[in-house]
Parts: sequence; C-alpha cells; structure tokens
Amino acid sequence: MFDRRLLRNLDWLLLLTMMAIFAISLIIITSTTVNFTGDPLYFTKRHAIRFGAGFIMLIIILNLDYTYLYRFAPYIYIANMILLVAVLFFGSDSGGAQRWIDLKFFELQPSEFAKLAIIISLARHLTDQEGNFDSFFSAVPFFLHVAIPMGLIFRQPDLGTSIVFIVILIGMLFMSGVKVKHLAAYLGLGLAAGIPLLWFNLKDYQKMRLIIFTDPYRDPLNDGYQIIQSLIAVGSGGLYGKGLFAEGTQNHLGFLLEQHTDFIFSAYAEETGFIGAVILLFLFLVLILRIIRVASQARDTFGTLVCIGIATMMAFHVLINVGMTIGIMPVTGLPLPFVSYGGSSLLMNMMAIGVVLNIGMRRQKYMF
Amino acid sequence: MTKSLRRRMRVFVVVVILTVLVLTARLAWLQIYQYDHYTAKAEGNRLRDLPILATRGEIKDRTGQILATNRPGYTVSLLGLDRQKAADVIRYLSEILAIEEEEIREKIAKQQFKSYAPIQIATDVSPEIVAQLEERRLDLPGVIYETQPVREYPRQSVAAHILGYVGVIRENQYQELKREGYRFTDIIGQSGLEATYEKYLRGQDGTLRVETNRFGNRVRELERINPVPGNTLHLTLDLQLQEIAENALAQVIAELKESGNDQVGKGAVVALDPSTGGILALVSYPAYNPNTFYQDYNEIRDNPDKPEINKAIQGTYPIGSTFKPVGAMAALEEGSITEKTHISCGGVKTFFGSDRRRCYGYTAHGALNVVGALQKSCNIFFYEMGYRLGGERLGQYAKDFGFGDLVGLTDIRGEVPGLINSPETRSDFMPGDVLSAAIGQGHAITPLQLANYGAMLANGGIHYRPHLVKEITDYTGQVIFVQEPEILKKLDYEQKHWEIIHRGLEAVTEPGGTGSSLRTLPVKVAGKTGSAEAGPNKISHSLFVGYAPSEAPEIALAVVVENGGLGGDAAVPTAKLIFEAYYGEDIPEGNEEM
Repeated sequence: MFDRRLLRNLDWLLLLTMMAIFAISLIIITSTTVNFTGDPLYFTKRHAIRFGAGFIMLIIILNLDYTYLYRFAPYIYIANMILLVAVLFFGSDSGGAQRWIDLKFFELQPSEFAKLAIIISLARHLTDQEGNFDSFFSAVPFFLHVAIPMGLIFRQPDLGTSIVFIVILIGMLFMSGVKVKHLAAYLGLGLAAGIPLLWFNLKDYQKMRLIIFTDPYRDPLNDGYQIIQSLIAVGSGGLYGKGLFAEGTQNHLGFLLEQHTDFIFSAYAEETGFIGAVILLFLFLVLILRIIRVASQARDTFGTLVCIGIATMMAFHVLINVGMTIGIMPVTGLPLPFVSYGGSSLLMNMMAIGVVLNIGMRRQKYMF
Repeated sequence: MTKSLRRRMRVFVVVVILTVLVLTARLAWLQIYQYDHYTAKAEGNRLRDLPILATRGEIKDRTGQILATNRPGYTVSLLGLDRQKAADVIRYLSEILAIEEEEIREKIAKQQFKSYAPIQIATDVSPEIVAQLEERRLDLPGVIYETQPVREYPRQSVAAHILGYVGVIRENQYQELKREGYRFTDIIGQSGLEATYEKYLRGQDGTLRVETNRFGNRVRELERINPVPGNTLHLTLDLQLQEIAENALAQVIAELKESGNDQVGKGAVVALDPSTGGILALVSYPAYNPNTFYQDYNEIRDNPDKPEINKAIQGTYPIGSTFKPVGAMAALEEGSITEKTHISCGGVKTFFGSDRRRCYGYTAHGALNVVGALQKSCNIFFYEMGYRLGGERLGQYAKDFGFGDLVGLTDIRGEVPGLINSPETRSDFMPGDVLSAAIGQGHAITPLQLANYGAMLANGGIHYRPHLVKEITDYTGQVIFVQEPEILKKLDYEQKHWEIIHRGLEAVTEPGGTGSSLRTLPVKVAGKTGSAEAGPNKISHSLFVGYAPSEAPEIALAVVVENGGLGGDAAVPTAKLIFEAYYGEDIPEGNEEM
C-alpha cells in the first residue's frame, strides 16, 4: 500500500503521541460518563468507534499526495461554505446555538471541519501570493478569505470557533513573511474596530461569560458556577489527584458540568492531579512541536503553511480550553483536541494529523 | 526556507512552549499552592451535616416525680420526592394532614437546594394519622416518618410558672445563640426553668453526615454521631405540696366568686423550706397549660387575669398587716419598747397633734403588749411603734427582712424588687406617713418576698437564697451540680426578741387571734394575717404569712389573694386547706398511735 521509502519518513513519534493523548481521553471519558446511562462504557465505546473511523480517514489521507489538497483547495473552501450555510438552515438546535447537522448516524458539526478547510484553502491562497507582502493592503484578500466563513460561524453563534480563525490567520500570515509591523497594525485596527462591533452583536449569555471570567463569584449559582466548580475540581485534585473512576467528587457528584466535553480537563486534573495534568500538557507540547518540525521540513511553502495552521489551531485550542478550566481564559466552548467527547472535533483533528503526517512523509521529492 | 522564516519558526516554537509553561504554572498554583483551599471547598460542596435532635433533659420534683419529660412525636417529611409524582403526593398529604397544598409546596420550595435533608411537612402527628399514611404507602413515595422528641408536661398546668414552656427559637434569640450552634428551627426554653436551664436541659445534638450531589440529593450516609441527652433537673419542689396549694387557692377563689365577690380571680402561694431557702411550692393563679401554650396563646393573652404572669415573683401588692412583725421587731431592737411595754388602745388615737387614726372597726383592744398587739393586729399599737421609730428606722428593718429588693431567686427569671414606703425611697415622705407605713400600707411586696420574710421569722433571721434546683444529673445519673443552701444575709438581732415575735405569731392562730381558724389543724402554725387596701371601690387584698410546725418550722408559707377581702376571708382559708392537706395525711398514722 505504502511506498517503503514513504513509511521510513513517517513521523512515528507524532502518531504515538496522538495515540497516547487518545488513550488518556478514553480513560477520562469513561470516568466522567460512567453513570450517565445504564451502560457504563456507552460513551467510551462511541468515542473509540469514532477514533477508529478517524484512523481510517487518517490512513486514506496518508495515501494521497497532499498536492491533491493544493489542487482541490478551492473546492474544499466552497464545500465548506455550503455546509456552513446549510447548518444555519437545517442545523439542529442545542442550547440556543445551531451548530449541528443531523446525519442520523452522526451529528456533523461543520464549524469543526471548517477549521481544517480554511487552513488548507488559506495555505494555497498564501502560497500563490509567493511572499509578496510589501504593501500594507496586500493582506486584505486573506482577511476576506477567512472573514466570510468566520461570519457564518459567528451567526450560529459560536464566538470561540470564530476567534480560532483569526488566530489561525495571524499564525499563517506570520509564517508567510508578512511584516511584523503590518501584522501589529492589522491586529490593532482589528481590535479597535472589532471589539465594539463584537460587543453589540454578542448574545447576552456570551457577554456574561466574558464578564464572569473576570469575577466568577459575581454570580456563583449561574454563570459563574461552571468556572468556580472547575477551579474547585482542579485545585482539590492536588499533586496526585483523587484517583480515577470514583474518587473525583466534583466529577462524580455532578458539580462539574460538561465534564466529558468542554470541561473534561477539570475532571482529569481532579482525578489525576498536577502530575496527570502536566503529563497531558507535555504530550500536547510534543505533538505541536512535532507538527512545527514537519512544517520546517516540508518540501514546499504549501506544506509548511498547512502544518503551521494546524499547529496554531491545536495550540490555541489547548490554551483556550485548559485556560478556561483553570480560570485564566473565558468560557468559550472550544473542545480539547482528541480528549473532549465529540465526533466532529475528533475526526477533524485526526484528519489534520493525517495531513501533517502526509506532508512529513513526502518531505523529500521522489521520482515515481 | 529563508533565514527570516527560520527565525519566525523559532519565535513560533517559543510561543508554544511559553503557552504550556503558563498553563503549568497556573496548574501548580491551583493544585499545589491552593490545594487546601480548594479541598475545603470541594468538601463543602459534597458534605452536609444533618442534626439528630438530642432528647431534652427531664425535670423532677424532690421525690423524683416527673414534671417535664419527652414523648416521641411523629414528623412526616419528604425525602427524595420524585418530581413526576410530586403533585399526587402533595395532594394526598394535604388531604390526610389537613394542610393546604400551597403550604406544602412552599416548604418544598424553601428547601430547593437542600433536598439531602428531609423536608418537614408536619410535626407531632398523631399515630392514627401516621397509620393512615402507612396504609397508602404505595401512593406516597418519598414520604418518610421520623420520630422526634416532643416536650411533655404530664401534670398539665401544675407548676406551669416554675417549669415554663418551650417554643421555636425567635429571630432575636437565634441571632444571639447561633454562635453556640443553635439552628433557626430549634426548640428552646422560652420561660421558667426551661429558659433558665436551657444550657443544661438541651443536650447535644448528634449529626448525620451525608454526601450529596449537585442537586442536593443524598448520595450516601457517611458518619453518624449520636446525640447526648440533656441533663435532669432535680428540684426542691414538693409536687404533693404544689398540687395541694394550687387546688387550695383555686378552691378558695372559686368559693369567693360563688359568694358574690366579682373582683377576685388572681393569687399566689409560695412555700419555702426555712432551713435551706428551697422552694417547696410556688403557685401563681390562674395558670396555663405549658403543653399547649402556643395553641392557647390568644386565649392566654386576652385573659384579664394574665395567666402568663408569674404573680408569685412579678406581682406586687401592698403588704398590709402582715408587715406588723417588722414594726414589732424594730421597736424591740431599738429599745422603744420591751415585752412588758403596754400600749392602750381605745379604738382611736391622734398622732402629730391632728392625725386621727383608728383600729379596724373602731375596736378598742385595751392595754396590749407586743404579743397581744400581734395577735389582735392592733393598729393603734403599731401606729405608736411607727411614731416612736420614725420612717427611716422602720424602713431599715423592712429592708433587713428582704423587702424593697430582689430576694435573689435566679432559677427563674423575672423577679421584681417591690418598694418600701420610707423616706429613703420616697422624696415626698412626710413624718406622718410613718403611721401608714407601720401598718403595712404603701409598701409594694411580692409573694416570694413575703414567704422569705416568713422563713426569716421562722429561722431567726437567716435570708437564704430561694432556689428551685437542688441538683443536676447528667443522662448517666452522675451528679454534675449541687445547690448548697446559700446564706445571703443573717440578721444579728437578739434571740429573746425573736422569741417574743414568735410567741406573738403563735398567738395569732390561738383563740382570740386573727387567724384562730388555724387552731384546729393537726400542726401548730405561727403566722400573721393581713388585709391591704387595694384602692377606692376595690375589695382589699387578703394576705397570710406563717410557718409550721411552729416549734420546728418545716414550711414558711405566704398566701396572697388579690381582692380576696380580709386576711381571714381568703388567705387564711387557703393556708388552712394547704396545711390540712399536707399534714393531714399524717393524721391516720397519728390516730393509730393514739
């Protein structure tokens, strides 16, 4: 199936790190959902099946030279836009936000896949620019490139994911050679114009989340509740943790909310303590640094930019998600890659790793 | 890749590493540095302590008869009520317990986030109703029955003013007591011994520690600390004497009412042990039933005879002629007279030139010494004593006998000091006022002061602190407190003067004395009667103070019947009934011996 020479270039450490993070995920999802339904492994099994599906996707992606991605980038972008529009019309409602398309066997969350789609299409767009960023206005087309899907996602509404796009854009512009002073100016202008605009377009609950972040005890029973309970869970985990499966009282007695999705890190840190938390963060660090390593070795600018986009995306998710559980980031609902329960996020992240491995495998130009 | 991009790549790596370091540092802060803080919060989240009520200590009389105890009362509560079945359950409960559905819903709503604790719907439910509920058990999921101790006074209203009553803690009490661990639902002593000895009677509540989840539902029981029952009070009170005294006073008042006295209705009796100050009986009429004090509250409040007031320590009355022994003792001690001094009573006498005073009914007693004057209660004699002594000196002796100040009863609250009619307390006291003061007018005294005065006359001037609690034992029976007789004051009067007064008081109950009706008793009583003016158009108050047996006093007795008439109309008959019943029981024995 694979060319032997290609397999020799596969980044095994990156793959193993991903597997290790997933193994931790299986354990903590089991521990957080053991009492949810009659079947203590119900969520674990589903998570594992999705991982299996993701792994197949990953292998398929490995088999195709990533130049196909370059070639199909415009179609990927368009397909993505169609899905994002579709979710606004056909999306199923959950807690006031329309984020999912019900495919009966799978709840598709287009905004998750949009992240990868934008990274690939933006990478091609930037590659085609060929490093020509001398003019201050040369970056404007890329803003538009990202702004349209971002706007659609913001309408769902999903502030966290919208911001992910901005961060990915900044990372990729930075690695495309855009002048740092220009980047700083874009950022400054963007914040000056964006913050007031944003504030008037946010739903009340989104505003509350941002306010509450600064002082959770302002409303300890409602909006501040999640943050407070998360801090208690993490803090009371101590150095060694309370133990898995039954000992995490914040987790098992239900004081934590979303303990298998957005706040899974709180449950994990409660049950495995500082040591467990640091091990997981270290695995993420290894994962991201390996992606950056692939980026630096890629045979072309497109490959480099795709890897940088993915590394930025993953690093930002870790920062925002873990930061949220320990009270240094607002509550935005970004999942923790590979760990949070949720099919779209898991599949997308595995596909992203597939793309990275693909780029890494083909770093040398072979003649076929 | 260009050199500049390589540099940017390094910047990228540094940012990622810094991000992870920041997260790690924050985790270290939360999980290592603030571990204790958050552990406490996590424990606070999940652990709830439920009280297990301690049984309140009992109160017993001097012979061990129970005055206050507890019986198990059923409490109907909800625990873990299923939301879907709630409506039906509430309807059934409302029907059987006769409580409004709305009220039940309010109770449930109040405890919204505390559903680990049973929600009390009704307390002290009868066993019949509990049986009815049990029959419909299947319709009533989540309904539980707990037994909680309920205070009970088996003798109903007997000794009500001594025992007091218990009730739910009031807001101001809660604010004061919450530091000592009281809860806002606690039942505490509100009056009488129940209030004063709350600390001893209360016991120590146990706790049931439960683990709860986010919804406040009980997950499991973790630990149980059993309650420690309260301590038992052993009183100086003689239940038999108390009941006799209550019945006697009630009977006399009822008879007076029947005979046309429409003002009578209130009274008090106090009996002290003159050798210790222990209270043997303390009656305030009318009384209330402490078992149902709160149910009966409106009735009690609206009763013009004010049953909630303890007249024995809070009611003040003019002392009347029962004051005369004070004047007699003062005159003897001050040397104004000796036993041999005779004063001639012509029924009327003029003092200070123009102040004409008379004896009751203008009776001319003739020449009387102090013993005769006490026996006949001759006003002229005691006017003369007052005239010779002056208001200041007379007032000092009244003070010596414990009037005008608290007698020192601390076992129950509310004692009032009363007032001595003397220049010391009244700025408008004229020299002529000493005449009225000498026959007991213008003083305000409590029945307890009168009894203490009786005890001092009986024991030769020792003022013991009157007390009700003799001993306190804990629930294992171990004695934790003993009240030794406490001497507050000892009068240094001449022994022969005590004997003279004693003879005068004995003469009162002999033929020719104002209390001669007491001569038929199986026990020799010494005493003094009194009728005190109650005001215009008012029937006078009837008083008696005395002790028995006169040669070796066991009881000092004071009786006050408000608007009862002359001493002989109400107070003396009451005293007679009391002594009769109390000493009468010995008669059959005595007869057999004879």
